[in-house]
Amino acid sequence: MSASAIAAPAVGRPSPAQVEALSGIDRPTKRDEAWRYAPHAELARLRFGPAAQVPPAVPADVLAQIPAIDGPRIVVVNGVVDHDLSDISSLPDGVHVSSLAVAADEHPELVAAHVGQDSDQLADAFVALNIAFGADGAAILVDAGHRIEVPIHLVDIVVADTTPNAEAPNAWCSGAVIHLRDGSAATVIETRIGAGGEFSGSNTRTTITLGEGATLEHIVAQDAASTQIQLTRVEVTQQARSVLRARSFNLGAHYGRLAYDVQLAGAGAVAEMSGLYFGFGEQTLDQQITVVHDAVDCTSRQSYRGVLDDESTGVFNGGIDVRPGAGGADAEQSNDNLLLSRRAEVNTQPRLEILTDEVACKHGATVGELDETALYYMRSRGIPESDARSLLVRGFAEQVVEDVDVAALRGWIEHRLRLDRDG
Amino acid sequence: MLHIENLTASIGDKQILKGLDLDVGEGEVHAIMGPNGSGKSTLAHALAGRDGYEIGGVATLDGADLLSMEPEERAAAGMFLGFQYPVEIPGVNNMYFLRTALNSVRKARGDKEIGARDFLAVAKKAMALVEMKEDFLNRSVNAGFSGGEKKRNEVLQMAVLEPRLAVLDETDSGLDIDALRVIASGVNSLRSPERSVIMITHYQRLLDYIKPDFVHVLVDGRIVTSGDHTLALHLEHHGYADFVNHDLDTMSDRPLSGTAP
Repeated sequence: MSASAIAAPAVGRPSPAQVEALSGIDRPTKRDEAWRYAPHAELARLRFGPAAQVPPAVPADVLAQIPAIDGPRIVVVNGVVDHDLSDISSLPDGVHVSSLAVAADEHPELVAAHVGQDSDQLADAFVALNIAFGADGAAILVDAGHRIEVPIHLVDIVVADTTPNAEAPNAWCSGAVIHLRDGSAATVIETRIGAGGEFSGSNTRTTITLGEGATLEHIVAQDAASTQIQLTRVEVTQQARSVLRARSFNLGAHYGRLAYDVQLAGAGAVAEMSGLYFGFGEQTLDQQITVVHDAVDCTSRQSYRGVLDDESTGVFNGGIDVRPGAGGADAEQSNDNLLLSRRAEVNTQPRLEILTDEVACKHGATVGELDETALYYMRSRGIPESDARSLLVRGFAEQVVEDVDVAALRGWIEHRLRLDRDG
Repeated sequence: MLHIENLTASIGDKQILKGLDLDVGEGEVHAIMGPNGSGKSTLAHALAGRDGYEIGGVATLDGADLLSMEPEERAAAGMFLGFQYPVEIPGVNNMYFLRTALNSVRKARGDKEIGARDFLAVAKKAMALVEMKEDFLNRSVNAGFSGGEKKRNEVLQMAVLEPRLAVLDETDSGLDIDALRVIASGVNSLRSPERSVIMITHYQRLLDYIKPDFVHVLVDGRIVTSGDHTLALHLEHHGYADFVNHDLDTMSDRPLSGTAP
């Protein structure tokens, strides 16, 4: 079925007929550029369905993986908010946080843009599935002029059914809506983790709107089990002079996908994006980044680094679109990769579409191995080769990690990457 | 302390060191001078253990066979090379690097590792020696350092690691006179009866500040003559022309003004 046959839900939640239609859309294939390196056989095994009414119990070892970040927290387990694990009891002035389901009932206008996309504009079948089944998650609203210091933490956990049957869902959807009104500021951290064992998947989608002069620090840290598929999509619309600082850490999953679609819709908007993907085993870690300059004098930076070990695959597909009339665009993109094994692979591709003059646009990509001269230098100082190698890898990754201001999260990332040895 | 006998080094078909002999006693400072391409840096890297050379002959440090060791084992045995071109390592904190190096060496020698606080005292002392500012420890190793800062960092590492033998490869190149003075005073204060130094240099200039006990001239992969510091002065005035394109076997018989017996 084609996407355009389905009417978009106006507000709130889609009707049962819409759910059926949305979940029947053809999934992407290898011929879709944005899904070229995805494991399509495994994607086909994902059975999405509505979340259970009650979240399943989360094993203690998975709970222990949640980064210990002080502040409000919403935890979603298999697509439904776990209120016992969440804590939004004390919120600073000017910020409103609730579950997405509650927000859809009480403030449907806030959620309308998240679920109410025109069906012919849906990026792919997984967005449609997310609209169909991602009824719960988190909603964050920051009032005009309020600058919220404490980070707001959203956690998405997938716990695979240990007694799977051929019919039951093995993949769930959730969503987040983040709305910063004019002149406000906030930090939102989205963590994705999961329990291994069985094949399972998570499809999360975040819709962000930044009002004039608003500033959002948005961090996505995902490290799922190697039996899991993690699909993350973030859609951002920025008004004039707003600033997005996006940091993404794609650290593990059988297939870990991190897609950002940023619309610079107001004059002077700034999107400063950086990310690290760090793969081992047979993981595929896929970054799909698109920044659209659709207003004058906007600035965008994409700076992504990959480390690929064993037989892992990294993908960086980075787009810069400068629309007609978006003069004064200043766009830069860089992608640097370190291959630690001969069987590791990286696919890096810039996509530039510049439809106006007066544009400053730079891009560059590198793929390399560990610097032998640097290794020798360190060894000549007495550092054993294996330690020298990990120090070099750490140094390469650290240049992205150090951009994270929240110390607890920085520590979590370094720990997950085993970069914190005797640090 | 250091004994080198008939040392050869080649890369592919190209032989660079062609049977080099050198003995360095405890506490001595030796200068090795020579024209470009004579093999000075190759000697330094052959001693430090760089990959890519075919090595022959003998090199022992305190009786231990250097040539059979990995670079890190040589460091633990007391070998230190001050690089001509110190390597930039973005993202690796200088302090962490130094402490890892020191603790690796201590561990290999069977000594107790040193904690962060005690290390800071060691590092500060070493920094004072080369007049480094505090923020220096928190920067990435050599990344964005000026030429002078890089060379000072080499001497700082030497001060922290306290080697038995320090080979300083063109530590004076690219330095202005003030930086040269700082480096030289750092090296001088690290001179001790238990530590030997080999300075590899093009120019006499450095030797005005660090007075060597012996000067050797390296030409075409061999030491062709040796003397005291006055040999360096002779080279300053006459260049290496006396030693190049001559029958090297007869060199040692040639009278040379100012050469020590």
